[in-house]
Amino acid sequence: MLLALLAKEPSLGYQLRARLNDALGSLGEEMNDGQIYVTLGRLERAGLVAVALAGSRQRPERKVYSLTSAGQARVGDWLGEVSWPKPDVAEFHLKLIAASTAGLADPVGIIDAQRRALLRRLRDAQEAAMAEPEGSRAALLLEGIVLRLQADLRWLEACDAAWSTPARTRKGRS
Amino acid sequence: MRRGLEHARQDEEGPIVTGWGEESAVAARELTKWYGRDEGLVRAIDGVDLEVAVGETVAVMGPSGCGKSTLLHVLGGLDRPSGGEVWLAGRRIDGMSERELARMRRSKVGFVFQAFHLMDELTAVENVELPALLGGLSPRVARRRAGELLERVGLADRAGHLPSALSGGQRQRVAIARALVNQPLVVLADEPTGNLDSASTLDVLRLFKQLRAGGQTFVVVTHDERVAATADRLISMRDGSFVDQTRLAGGTTGRLGDLAGLEGWRDG
Amino acid sequence: MGRAALFARLAAKDLRRHLSEGLLLFLVIAAAATTLTLGLVLHGETNNPYNTTRTTTAGPDAVANLAPSISTTGTITANADPAHLAALQRAPGVVATSGPYPVTFALLKTHGLTTSTMIEGRDPTPASLDQPLLTAGDWIRPDGMVVERSFADALGVGVGDLVTLNGRHFQVAGIAVDAAIPPYPHVCGIGCDVLYRNAISNEQISFYQPGLIWLSRPDALSVATPDVGVSYMLNLKLSDPAQAPAFAASNTHTTGSGTDLVVSSWQHISAQAAKLVRGPRTVLLAGSGLLVVLALASVAVLVGGRLSEQTRRVGLLKAVGATPATVAAVLLAEHLAVTILAAATGVLTGWALAPLLTGPGAGLLGTAGSPPLTVATVATVIAAALAIAILATLVPAVQAARTSTIAALNDAARPPRRHKLLIAASSRLPVPLLLGVRLAARRPRRAALGTLSVAVSVAGVVAVLIERSRLGGTSGLANPQHQRITQVLWVITIMLIVLAAINAILITWATVIDGRHASALARVLGATPQQVSEAMTASQFLSVLPGSLLGVPLGIALVQTVGKSSDAYKHASIPMVILVIVGTWLIMSLLTAIPARIGTRRSTAQILQAESN
Repeated sequence: MLLALLAKEPSLGYQLRARLNDALGSLGEEMNDGQIYVTLGRLERAGLVAVALAGSRQRPERKVYSLTSAGQARVGDWLGEVSWPKPDVAEFHLKLIAASTAGLADPVGIIDAQRRALLRRLRDAQEAAMAEPEGSRAALLLEGIVLRLQADLRWLEACDAAWSTPARTRKGRS
Repeated sequence: MRRGLEHARQDEEGPIVTGWGEESAVAARELTKWYGRDEGLVRAIDGVDLEVAVGETVAVMGPSGCGKSTLLHVLGGLDRPSGGEVWLAGRRIDGMSERELARMRRSKVGFVFQAFHLMDELTAVENVELPALLGGLSPRVARRRAGELLERVGLADRAGHLPSALSGGQRQRVAIARALVNQPLVVLADEPTGNLDSASTLDVLRLFKQLRAGGQTFVVVTHDERVAATADRLISMRDGSFVDQTRLAGGTTGRLGDLAGLEGWRDG
Repeated sequence: MGRAALFARLAAKDLRRHLSEGLLLFLVIAAAATTLTLGLVLHGETNNPYNTTRTTTAGPDAVANLAPSISTTGTITANADPAHLAALQRAPGVVATSGPYPVTFALLKTHGLTTSTMIEGRDPTPASLDQPLLTAGDWIRPDGMVVERSFADALGVGVGDLVTLNGRHFQVAGIAVDAAIPPYPHVCGIGCDVLYRNAISNEQISFYQPGLIWLSRPDALSVATPDVGVSYMLNLKLSDPAQAPAFAASNTHTTGSGTDLVVSSWQHISAQAAKLVRGPRTVLLAGSGLLVVLALASVAVLVGGRLSEQTRRVGLLKAVGATPATVAAVLLAEHLAVTILAAATGVLTGWALAPLLTGPGAGLLGTAGSPPLTVATVATVIAAALAIAILATLVPAVQAARTSTIAALNDAARPPRRHKLLIAASSRLPVPLLLGVRLAARRPRRAALGTLSVAVSVAGVVAVLIERSRLGGTSGLANPQHQRITQVLWVITIMLIVLAAINAILITWATVIDGRHASALARVLGATPQQVSEAMTASQFLSVLPGSLLGVPLGIALVQTVGKSSDAYKHASIPMVILVIVGTWLIMSLLTAIPARIGTRRSTAQILQAESN
């Protein structure tokens, strides 16, 4: 997801950090600053990020990071993903912000696609729950899935409402 | 063209149902409903187009105050539109007199409400047979049909109970039986699970599923995603107009196990 | 004290919001209070103007009436002989006498009117005991008659008018009042037996209630016909006027020569004169009884109609810590203010109207004036009004206080009643009746109230009609007592109709509001608006029908018991009964159709939304 933050323009390390903090709001304070640079290092080694030195110093925050073409492709893939392995609210939230700031995709479209996917899953889960005999344990598990999906869908609706309003400017916590 | 959907995102799986007016179960064109005047003007429904095919289940979702209940009332002839056309069972109803509307309601529409709206002093079977009696059926036939429907919704043993002796889910099932007694073409449900807990909601959804399998047409207004997920088509409504349409009938994507966090186990 | 002020403020605010209901309550109680005051005031009428007349005319303590000898076949064998009164003149206790004066009866014709009259022959010189007091014109002269005042009023004659007696012409010389003989139409209070014998040849003479005129002795004797004969009247003054009734009783007998001697005491005559007021008073009391019942029903419906609101308020009050007693107090508070105001208004109105009815009539001197408004009367009326209000609010107050706070807040307190049989039976009926029967069955108490008020109203109307037909004069002569009673009957009829109409509208309105949800639901399920409003009318009809049928025998019974006439039912003709019943149905349908129509105006969707919130 860091990649996506670079998609707009090459940035300095501390700018990345600032942007991350902005997008995550109070949750961002929980992130370890060092974590960012470790991840950036990994990305560089994986060939998705290119590093240039801004000045003569070797300090990480002074480095300029930019996306390679492989990195760009990866961002594109990530944005198009609709798999939902486990609830990851922060990731989706950042996905939307990144898409919006970099102009890569319409956030509302992303939300709708995700909603559709979740609705279909909800439907499946509910069908499965209804097919279970009365009082079976599996029905309880399915109920858990259904309720979490429901909760996620509610949040997606809120996102939809928030991101659909054109006058809104993106601030840290939207 | 359909103005109401201009701003909507098209669904990726193909166009929506075609076939207009006479062929659909319920349809509306450029439907508007306003209240008040000047500064007090409220556009409850602001230019809505809709077709519901026979046998289809359409869910309308939206935040409270978006006009979805009003839409349902207008579709069922309980309220008159300020503009536009409403078609029910192949006939145009927006210009009908109250008498004709009542007749349409008797035979073409069944209503299910969030608050159940059962008569407190009548037993379950007496509640269910009421529309049949109003429709002119003989008491015996009405009673028989009511009994059959109660059996169908699984409440045959509660036929003689008053609503006060029934749980919320049971009351709603009685209401559903009542909506079906005159064999209506379409069932209009307004937040049918709004007053129900999780288990009762499942009961009602199960019932809906059976009825849909039997070919019953439904238009359901809800803010419960669980109910919406069971529909063939989901329409999102905001501020009186449709903003999105999704076709839900179709294949599944991904495995349910993933949703529960089981992916780690899958591959050994 | 702060709490009381708070409750008073709550009550005042609530009253302002429901101004129309407060007004109705006021009207209802004021009407009942007015009639009750009138009845009580007349009942307590002690100022008998007869006494004034007695003083100014030097009225006798006893009057003796000696009839002519009558054979077994009823013919008159000989006129009365005044000598037979000599013994009476010397009887113990007699201080002074005047007369004996000849008395006869004749047929009187004037101004196109025919009636009978009692004639007393008098002297031109004034008597010391019982000299009629002239209020117009002069005393008797040859061919000149003096007419008793209330008789003159009824005949419409004045001084100088021409009158024929048994064909002979006389001129009215003067008009006077008298205390020895009761004024028209109660002249026969002292005995007109001679007039009502079988063998009287001029039968016409006994058709009418006679009035009283005075002629000179020769004129009186010359007018007398053989088949009516001549009686003699003797006025007596006693040493102990209080003993007059005993004196009269002991001296009334058949004389040795076979003639009847009837002695009447002044108390008896006074009572006859007072009939003018007593009759109307009885009617008034009965009428106000009916009105009080109607008022009770009205108030009960008024209060009960807002019951669910009350229940919710009660729940609120209890939730903030009010005891059941305080709750009941708050409920009563707003009604109390209106009730006391209405009662006071009723008392004042009744007092102002009383002279219209207590005016002693032309026949007695002196006006009764405004009868005194005793503390007892005022207290009774206010107590009655309070009782009505309290009784009517008692039931809902008790119910409300008894329900649990939560139930009250959720307004689960008054679920509609269920009548299994009625519900089963109604399913066979056409749709409007089906809905109507079920609607009525939901609130049996209100249906009963409706039946009660219709029954009472119809009973009142029937009673009034019977009375009027009983009083129906055949002579064309204005009978003052009948006039009085008729006036009172009119007053009562109008009030009855007004109250009954208010009641009908109230009950319908309460039914409409109470049945709003059921009606909206019926419309959702397929009933047309017409069917629903017909159902509303039908549900009212279920009260009206038995009420109207009950009211007829009730009204007849009322007249027979209060009026003490056992043959009153004969006056209730079939056409009249049918007219009353059908008229009631029509009027009630009209009165209930209007609120029913207004009630179905709101759209069903709105009603359903409202009821589920």
